[in-house]
Amino acid sequence: MRQTPLFEEHCARDGKIVDFHGWALPVQFKGIIEEHLYTRSRVSLFDCSHMGQFILRGAKAIRALESMVFNDMICLRVGRCRYTSILDVCGGIIDDIITMRLSESELFVVTNAMPYAKVSRILHRLCSAENVTDQTAKIDVQGPLSRSVLLQAGLDDIAPLKYFTVCRTQWKGQEIIVSRAGYTGELGYELYVPQELATPIWSELLSYPEVHPAGLGARDTLRIEMGYTLYGQDVDESHTTLEAGMGRFIDWDSEFNAKEFLLMQREMGRYKVRTGIRSATRRAPRTGYEVYCEGKPVGEVTSGCYGPSVGFGIGMAYIPVELSVPGTRLTAGPKEMEIETTAFPFYEHGTFRN
Amino acid sequence: MLHTNPPHLKYTKEHEWVRDDGGGVFAVGITEFAAEQLGDITFVELPPVDAQVSQGAEVATVESVKAANDIYAPIGGVITAVNGELEEHPEIVNQSPYENGWFFKLEEVDAAELDELMDATHYEAFLKDQ
Repeated sequence: MRQTPLFEEHCARDGKIVDFHGWALPVQFKGIIEEHLYTRSRVSLFDCSHMGQFILRGAKAIRALESMVFNDMICLRVGRCRYTSILDVCGGIIDDIITMRLSESELFVVTNAMPYAKVSRILHRLCSAENVTDQTAKIDVQGPLSRSVLLQAGLDDIAPLKYFTVCRTQWKGQEIIVSRAGYTGELGYELYVPQELATPIWSELLSYPEVHPAGLGARDTLRIEMGYTLYGQDVDESHTTLEAGMGRFIDWDSEFNAKEFLLMQREMGRYKVRTGIRSATRRAPRTGYEVYCEGKPVGEVTSGCYGPSVGFGIGMAYIPVELSVPGTRLTAGPKEMEIETTAFPFYEHGTFRN
Repeated sequence: MLHTNPPHLKYTKEHEWVRDDGGGVFAVGITEFAAEQLGDITFVELPPVDAQVSQGAEVATVESVKAANDIYAPIGGVITAVNGELEEHPEIVNQSPYENGWFFKLEEVDAAELDELMDATHYEAFLKDQ
């Protein structure tokens, strides 16, 4: 398993290490629910150094990327972040990515661990992207008190950052990138730092009493409560971006490889769409559960868990569009537990836009 | 991790325990090791009272943040009580697996089935091989 620069830190704090797509990462420190609730009320640090980072330079490279993603990249303003997906010609999701315009000539691209080999090849061939994954650690600082902690730590430049914006700043004389984004639904920032800075920043941030480390387990329950997808589980090449429920993000005026296919799929309208599901009890739908409508199989659950902040079982499933309207009663799993379709997010009190 | 498995209980390879409460009543729960492996327990489904169960039958479900697991009857018998507290507060199983976190009670059990179970020493040896 590959180790992030923070591996020793996780071991020293009794992190329970698991294999996440070839990376040794902590799934929990004190406990998933405790870390989940802590993130919603204070600040948690997540080591996300397993994710890929690339820099595209020049209008040509940025335009080239535009040919494979569903929205405009050229017009992305300096200092802004945008969520998009790299698609195949049939609209399948090769990766869902965050793009950030660092300067007029630079686009910073953050990718997922699972499709890394394929995506790094595409970005290299298509955009001559510089792969900075091995030199970069990614630390997510998430929670309602995250702004105040980063300001106390001397990162004054982050004060004006609005949701989904980014800046370059300095940490003790070294350049880092900070975006205001995250995967938890809470006010939060993502720090992209040179590898050798990972441990000093991690330790310093943890020296604030309101900051605790959190693992992949809490990251997962937090993102499910927000209805966010996990690449390789909820979205992948076998589902189109329309099926994944990303239709509202698609810029239909933009030209890209999968546009015609997706226009036709939209026109036909008969596909399965990623839909929020909830149970009436604490029992949770689970990944791989079949979904039934009046006893007939109609789809599959891709993620599910008990939602610690909502108090009931939640998840997402691919089911026919006509069944996806909120309030549809279905069953799931070997015990045919009762579920009901519902709109995302499950948790509505997130502070991410505060 | 060191586990303190009470010496007066009997144990199964599925990490359940059985306690003789006297008067022909036997309490059943899951071991500290099982609770730790599951992590934060979020849901427990208990069997109906009066149900007749045979040894090895699926009698309950325990769900954690990570997964859902079935609980099998360590011995056969009739369910005479269930721990209703667990429906609202499944975390009790993590906090007190051998006391407040019991699942259900059985009567009319078969003594021979009880004899098949491990004592604490055997269970600890079994855990070491896991």
